[in-house]
Formats: sequence, C-alpha cells, structure tokens
Amino acid sequence: MASTFDVNFLGEAFRVAMLGVPVTLGITLITLLLSVPISFYFATLRLKKIPVVSQVIAVYVSFVRGTPILIQIFIIYNSVPILLKMLFETYQIKFDIYAIHPIWYAFIIFTFSTTALLVEVFRSALSTVDKGQLEAANAVGLTNFQAYRRIIIPQMLGAAMPNMTTNIINLIKATSLGYALSLPEITLNVKVAANAGYNYIEAYVVIFFVYLAICSLVEYALKKYERHLLRFKLV
Amino acid sequence: MLKVENIHKAFGNNEILKGVNIEVAQGDVVVILGPSGSGKTTLLRCIEFLEQADRGKIIVGDLQVDVTAAKKKDIHMIRQRVAFVFQNYNLFSNKTVLENITEGLVIGRKMSKSDANELAFAALAKVGLTDKQAAYPSELSGGQQQRVGIARAVALSPDIILFDEPTSALDPELVGEVLSVMKNIAKEGTTMLVVTHEMSFAREVANHIIFMDQGVVVEEGTPDELFVHPKQQRTKQFLQRVLPDDFIFNI
Repeated sequence: MASTFDVNFLGEAFRVAMLGVPVTLGITLITLLLSVPISFYFATLRLKKIPVVSQVIAVYVSFVRGTPILIQIFIIYNSVPILLKMLFETYQIKFDIYAIHPIWYAFIIFTFSTTALLVEVFRSALSTVDKGQLEAANAVGLTNFQAYRRIIIPQMLGAAMPNMTTNIINLIKATSLGYALSLPEITLNVKVAANAGYNYIEAYVVIFFVYLAICSLVEYALKKYERHLLRFKLV
Repeated sequence: MLKVENIHKAFGNNEILKGVNIEVAQGDVVVILGPSGSGKTTLLRCIEFLEQADRGKIIVGDLQVDVTAAKKKDIHMIRQRVAFVFQNYNLFSNKTVLENITEGLVIGRKMSKSDANELAFAALAKVGLTDKQAAYPSELSGGQQQRVGIARAVALSPDIILFDEPTSALDPELVGEVLSVMKNIAKEGTTMLVVTHEMSFAREVANHIIFMDQGVVVEEGTPDELFVHPKQQRTKQFLQRVLPDDFIFNI
C-alpha cells in the first residue's frame, strides 16, 4: 500500500512510541534497583574469594556473557511457567500461571543478565579503592557498614561509572527485546502501529530516534553524576 | 595507661610477635625501634585491632581486653581511646580535610556537627593547616596529608596516639614538617607510641625507647641508656647500622 515514505505516519508512530517510554524506562529502573545491590554483594563475595560461592558466581557471569539475551528471554519465558505450574500442582495451589503479566518476566530476565554484567564492573571498581581507608575508618570508630556506605562505595561508584553507563545504555536498548514477551514497550508499540499500513521503514526510523534521544539524555545525566562523584579528583 | 601483655601473632606459619610486653605511662612518648620484619608495625596494628592477635591482653586505663575474647563492643571501646596515624596517611579521598577529621566524631561518636567542627578546627590549628580545611586530600602534599592524618587522630581526644612509621612514605624534604608537628603535640603532653626510623626524633622527643627484633622486645630504656650504653649485642649491631658515625658522640 505505502511503498513510499509516509510522513503522516511518523506522527502516529511517535505518539505510540511515547506510550511505550514509561514501560521501557520502568523495566530499566526496576532492573537497576534490583541488580545494583545484588551485583555489588556478589562482587564483594568474589573479592573475598569465598570458596564455592565465588566459583558459582564466576560461572554465572560467564554463562550470561556467553549467551544472547534473546535466547535467555526465550528460555526463561518458556521454562519458568512450566516449572511454576509443576510446583503449584504438587502443592495443589490454585494459581493461573498464564495470568502473570509478562512484565514480571522482563524484571527477572533483565535483572538476571544485568546483575552478571555489573558483578565484574563492581569487582574491578572495588579493587581501585585502597583498603587502608577502610582501616582508617575503623580506627576512627566507624563500623564496616558505615565505612562502606560513606567512604568506600562513593569512591567505588566513581570508578565504576564509565562501565556502569555503558551497561545501563545497553540495558535500555536491550529492553526492545521485550517485544518477544509481548510487552507494550517502544519497539512493539510502533511495530504494531506499522502493521496496518506496512509503514515499517517509517516505524524503524522513529524507533531509532526515540532510543537515540533516550540514551543520549541518560548518558548526559550519568556523565554529570560521574563528575559529581569524582569531584574530589578534579584538582 | 597502655599496657600490652604477652601478645602473640602469626600469619600462617610465620610467627611475627612472640609474646610482647610493653607499657606506656600517661604523657610518655615511647619510640619503638627495630629492623624491618621485627614486628613493630604488627604490634601497633594488633593494639588498634586492625589485626586480631592470637593471644594476649590489651589494657587501656581501666579497660582490659583479652584479644581472643574481644567482642565488637570491646574493639570499639579500645578504638575510642587509641587513635592511629598510618604510614600511608589513609585519608578518605572523597572527603575534604575538615570532613576527614569530623567523620569519626559525627558518625563514629554521634557528636553534633558543630561540636565536631570546633574540635576539628582546633586540631587543624595544631598542625597548621587551618587554611586547607576545604581542600580534598588529592590537593595536598604528602607532608600536609600526614599532618591532616595527625589532626584526625588528635581531634578524637584519645588517651594515646599510635604512629606507624608516619614519615616513611614522605619525600625527605617533607619529613621535617611532620616531625615538628609530632614534637609539638608531644610537648603538649599527648601520650604517644611511635614506630619510626627517625633516630633524631627518638633521641630528642622520646623519653623511653623500645628495641624490638624478631618478634620480641630485646631491650628498652631511656634514650641515653639505649643509644649511649646499649647492653644487648643485637641492639648495638642495629644502632651501628642505622646511626651516623658521630651521632652518639654529638649527644
């Protein structure tokens, strides 16, 4: 029908894209809220070289790094309901597995993969902070928890920010794979709108620029935060 | 004031401290000398509980702690009374000079910010760095950083300050400013236990010298006794190596 570039469709595509923005950012935010503390904890376990636990985390990290996220999505999205169903049937709990909103799967999948990537980021960042400062904090009467919160973590975050930014941007882009979960995020919304008139080229152009705009804004904000964290280094 | 009884510490099979006893009285400036690897630093770190000793007792005033049974609360109490100055300063890089000093007071001791600031300003005045209060450690020279380290310890108003080779990481031309700050606070009556290789400081400021070697106290006494009339062969050998030829005769 529309073999030429349909400028009129751009407006409609942009409108549905905007409806998907909260979903995209929501998944990103929840994923970060879950995976940042978990991966930080895992990183400290890795650094303490706790036997077995440390190796299990290392395997998990390699596993996530070595598999495409789309395949992780398919495996988790298809296997978790079956496992849950078996579990509920054994304990005779009445619960409709298929009524679970796909966004819950998105939280699980993206947290699963982002956590693994951030473990390595935090591990290298933590080793840049001199252990002597922890001792000094202890010596002036701070508990380990206080010392980490006030002295170690702020410096660690500063060192981690460049890699964190890369991973956060990658996460935002990876949420576009949410279409495989039928999530009404940016990509799926626009593609569905394009179906009616076969306006796929227009749709992809709109998607392209919406992600570009979001990622640029996030990158800018994180850069500012990084500079704030590292203010003590700018002599 | 500070008493250390029969402290043992091993790292794996390597026995660093083999039953060390020392005593520091109120107002004393005690210097620990000894070759590297003799256990001086480990001893200080065990007193502050930066390392947990394997055996022994640490007594500060009326507070007595058996290291094997030390609980978090005991360790916290010891640290309230015993301050520590590190070889590598270990200032908090993300805090200003003023915050470095108030951190332990406000967070560790729950003091109000204004009270803490007052103590911090007094401490900064003692080390002559009042004008640097808003600077970050990265903006200071090594000598200035160590003076902040000393101010951080002084502001805690501890019963005793432990100095772990406070000038060893400094460029030679910066050693003097740190030593003179230490001299000044010693003159004010601060009780100090100092591990150092600065023989002139030991000679001029200390009123008691302890010589350690291979994890034990070999000999101790006044600077005169130790520098001029050392009794033990090991002490003599060590002093011959570290003292300039004319040092003893110039006293």
